[in-house]
Amino acid sequence: MPKVRRGRKAPPEGWELVEPTLQDLQAKMREAENEGHEGKRKTESLWPVFRLHHQRSRYIFDMYHRRKAISRELYDYCCKEGYADVALIAKWRKVGYEKLCCLRCIQPKDMNFGTMCICRVPKEKLQEDKIVECLHCGCRGCASGS
Amino acid sequence: MARQGWEDSEFPIVCETCLGPNPYVRMTKQKHGKECKICGRPFTIFQWCPGAGMRNKKTECCQTCAKVKNVCQTCVLDLEFGLPTQVRDTVLQTRDDVPRSNVNREFFVASVEGQLGNDSLINYAKADSTAREQLKRISRVEPYYKRNRPHICSFYVKGECKRGDECPYRHELPIDNDLSNQNIKDRYHGKNDPVAQRILNRTDRSRTLNTPEDKSITSLFLTGIEKDISEQDLRDFFYGFGEIKSINVVQKSKVAFINYATRAAAELAVSKTFNNLNIKGRTIRVQWGKARPQGPRSDLQAGIDGSGSSSYAAPMGGPPAPPSIDDLINMPPPPPPPGQGSFSYPSQDPTALGTVGGREFRA
Repeated sequence: MPKVRRGRKAPPEGWELVEPTLQDLQAKMREAENEGHEGKRKTESLWPVFRLHHQRSRYIFDMYHRRKAISRELYDYCCKEGYADVALIAKWRKVGYEKLCCLRCIQPKDMNFGTMCICRVPKEKLQEDKIVECLHCGCRGCASGS
Repeated sequence: MARQGWEDSEFPIVCETCLGPNPYVRMTKQKHGKECKICGRPFTIFQWCPGAGMRNKKTECCQTCAKVKNVCQTCVLDLEFGLPTQVRDTVLQTRDDVPRSNVNREFFVASVEGQLGNDSLINYAKADSTAREQLKRISRVEPYYKRNRPHICSFYVKGECKRGDECPYRHELPIDNDLSNQNIKDRYHGKNDPVAQRILNRTDRSRTLNTPEDKSITSLFLTGIEKDISEQDLRDFFYGFGEIKSINVVQKSKVAFINYATRAAAELAVSKTFNNLNIKGRTIRVQWGKARPQGPRSDLQAGIDGSGSSSYAAPMGGPPAPPSIDDLINMPPPPPPPGQGSFSYPSQDPTALGTVGGREFRA
């Protein structure tokens, strides 16, 4: 059931600019959420959700921090409405985390040896021709640089 | 729940091969993680990765069981020689005194556990030195890391692995032979172990190397010639037994032939070096050479030359006779079409479809 939002304020100026993309991504997210698990591995089933979550936050982040195409009010509004993940965006603004895939991959407590996910390892430090897909979100490498 | 007598250890008992080449290994430890595959009591599981491109390994049997037989907790091979327990026990002539039935085994393990401490039940010092020498000769010199490779992808074998390059398992078809049916309990107790059987067969055969009847054979066949052993090294060593006619080293296949001038020299060399040859720290196996194959083809060619026919299959000349019914029945099945190299399913193999060679189809 959708959230009942009472006494909602009208969205700030410039909402028409971002609305179609956000609606589109939301529809895709709903599709990913309702998709069956058949033929997938246990870990694989959540990967599309993580990917869309990243994509949606990345869109807002680009619009506000990089291209400066939307106002502060609209940015705050999107974060509050749950279109963007504030914690993830906060990481993207730090050096070394510019391409971070998801927050689970940098959670050392989830790992056996208190490290970070395999997708955080730079390509040149990995074995040659080895393709890694991380267990949490299916990321194939989100280290900064190159 | 009574936790008395449950194993709680700080470090696993594992062999060098299972640990892998890297001296720095990160392990995880899980107390009472699983039941021992031999005695069924809970034990501490250690898990680690033995190097890049290898599968994760974990301990499979408890430390008491490992100490009783002096085996690795992971691969259940002897800790000192890396050999199956069956091979070690037959050579050392020790008896398997671990009871197989549940209650007896539990009692045995519990009673032995207190006495053991850090020692093992297998006493190598008591065994005589020839048996130890023999074990050393059978065993591998270097750790065999191929054992740590990932398992074969079962989906690939069925022909439906969708992971492609990302698949961490090996994309190979399994080799189906007598070695493919092993189980850990039999290997531990040293019963019906196909690997041990194979090793023992090999050593039994080689213990009695009979000299060939053909007196014209004066050559030795050496295997295990590594790159650092040159022809000069072999000449220096084998010159002591008699005059050498020629030495032929094939680096690619790691073999060499030594041709002596006389039969007596060759016999002396074999008797001195058989199962007992070590050059530059490498174990080299010595066998008698084979007689030069006298090709039947060349004989036939000589006979046919007069008739002028090129078909060597027809000794009497003339066109080849049409195949008879017996030929057709005994004919092997046609080779698979060139496009598909290997079979995905046993049923695709035309040789396995019940066309047995000697069967009679006629009424």
